[in-house]
Amino acid sequence: MTDPFSLAAGWLHETLLLPMLYAVGAMEWEEIAFGWALFACYGMAQVAVTFAICLPLERWRPVEHWPDQKAVWVDVLYTLVSRVGVLPLVTFVLFYQLQVAMNGWMSDHGWIPPTLERLIPALLGHHLLTFFLYAVILDFSEYWRHRLSHRFGWWWALHSLHHAQRQMTFWSDDRNHLLDDLIGFVWFTAVALLIGIPPLQFPLLVLLLRFLESLSHANARLSFGWLGERLLVSPRFHRSHHGVLAAGQQSANYGAILPWWDVLFGTADFARAYVRTGDPSAEEALATGSYVQQQWAGLRRMARLAGWTDPRRAGRLRRG
Amino acid sequence: MRLLLTFILLAALPGPARGSGLAIVLNSGDATLSVLDMAHGTELRRVPVLREPHHVALSPDGADLLVGDAGANEMLFLDPRTGDIRRRVPMADPYHLAFSPNGKWLTVTGLARNQVDLYDAASMALVKRFPLSSMPSHVTYAPDSSMAYVTLQGTDRLAAIDIKRQAVNWIAEVGATPAGVIWLNGKLLVANMGSDHFAVVDPVDGHVDQRVHTGRGAHQLFLSPDRKTLWVNNRVDGTTVALDAATFALIHSYRVPGGPDCIDFAPDGKLWITQRFIQKVGVLDPATGALHSLAVGRSPHGIHLTGDAR
Repeated sequence: MTDPFSLAAGWLHETLLLPMLYAVGAMEWEEIAFGWALFACYGMAQVAVTFAICLPLERWRPVEHWPDQKAVWVDVLYTLVSRVGVLPLVTFVLFYQLQVAMNGWMSDHGWIPPTLERLIPALLGHHLLTFFLYAVILDFSEYWRHRLSHRFGWWWALHSLHHAQRQMTFWSDDRNHLLDDLIGFVWFTAVALLIGIPPLQFPLLVLLLRFLESLSHANARLSFGWLGERLLVSPRFHRSHHGVLAAGQQSANYGAILPWWDVLFGTADFARAYVRTGDPSAEEALATGSYVQQQWAGLRRMARLAGWTDPRRAGRLRRG
Repeated sequence: MRLLLTFILLAALPGPARGSGLAIVLNSGDATLSVLDMAHGTELRRVPVLREPHHVALSPDGADLLVGDAGANEMLFLDPRTGDIRRRVPMADPYHLAFSPNGKWLTVTGLARNQVDLYDAASMALVKRFPLSSMPSHVTYAPDSSMAYVTLQGTDRLAAIDIKRQAVNWIAEVGATPAGVIWLNGKLLVANMGSDHFAVVDPVDGHVDQRVHTGRGAHQLFLSPDRKTLWVNNRVDGTTVALDAATFALIHSYRVPGGPDCIDFAPDGKLWITQRFIQKVGVLDPATGALHSLAVGRSPHGIHLTGDAR
């Protein structure tokens, strides 16, 4: 069966990217550009599908009503940059180069680079099953990364940008500080290299996980039922994590896709439902500032919480 | 009775049996090999590989078909008659590969790792690694097996490796983003993908004697089995052009959309061409100009038509 995403990517590459690369004398980037075209097509489709599913849900059963949604527009920008634009390209190029370097180094020393399929040969050719196993492992690693980002003060300062949003919608998932994104990329990549995810599946995997993460941020009264809530992270479950009482270094419901890890490690909270979101301790710029203001405010907060600035001196300056 | 007769007749017809007229296509984008029945133009099966197969070469004795899975860091040894994988050998970044005409050496380019490896063809032991920047792409040999020539896509150069001395003889600038390279009538022909021509290069010192226009994105060159026609794929223009191999005079230009890449020649005179961007293999009849495309996997790259078909 012909893959429509690949066909769309091929069309984009042949009619736009390839002539452009040829014109600017950068044909050595041709293979990379073809790879990016595929991820951009997946990204666009994913944003469209998320929009088509989540927007009606938010209109149908909203948790909150707001007089205006100006704060949401910044989140839309975060989403487009993160899923269609530069980030998938950077992710792919960096990951590919790192994997080439690591695997080459290993094979030079007589070791076989790790892959799940080599560990479990029966997986070879079973792309869906392998894909699912990769997703479970990555989700487990994401649980711990997320939990640690709440644990350390400087890291929480960066991550608090994500929590500062009082108008949480399905667009809010990509609302992250760039440094937080960078740490997340390094973490994700390290795990992906260890289990040998193929470069061409890597962004696809990220996009699939991100769709489910978008849904979990939706401003919608949506629960998956007693059993469903324990199988997959729902908007109800994840909203508790964004609640004003959960903002900070002691939180709950860290899981991104699977709540299994919260249940397993004692951080699950199924009791609270549809709470108010935001971080009362965050400065206003983190909640309602522009993209640049939010990024800058995140850095300032990180410097404060890491102790790099003297809070007493900062206090005197403010009073003066 | 009529049904029985039909059944007997159908059974007597040569079906798409393994080993008779198979096309093996390397789907670099979805880690599979497509095995096609050439007579009926149907895909018989997909063979899963590990990551990213790009190029293919037949061993000197014809017993093995070698497929480089660059992303998986392994070389696959296939039964050339059926496409079945017989064994896998760990190997760093095998992108393009060529055996020396005397059958003693195998040269493998590592495009992602900026290296060219020389192997003993009999034992598959690594003899020498040549770090070459950047993006060593395609390789070809001199007919006497004394030299191997490698295009360096990232630095617009061609490198000559002296096999006996196991040393790089020269590196010369040949044009923008060189990809395919072949030996023809005492010269090297290098397809410059970042330009619209192939360069005719002196194998002694790398001097470019002539540039022959073919079309934008000249990517790969192939010599027809009778050695009379030179075929060049132009990736940006989406054309495959036929040139007189002796004079380089243009015979015909054919429209082949979807990023034409590798070619193999069928015994009926048709060309099987991988179309990278549209997940197809085009079957081009040079006599009529008709192009019939068959669906395969994502980003089809190398192609090999089985021995029985030649």
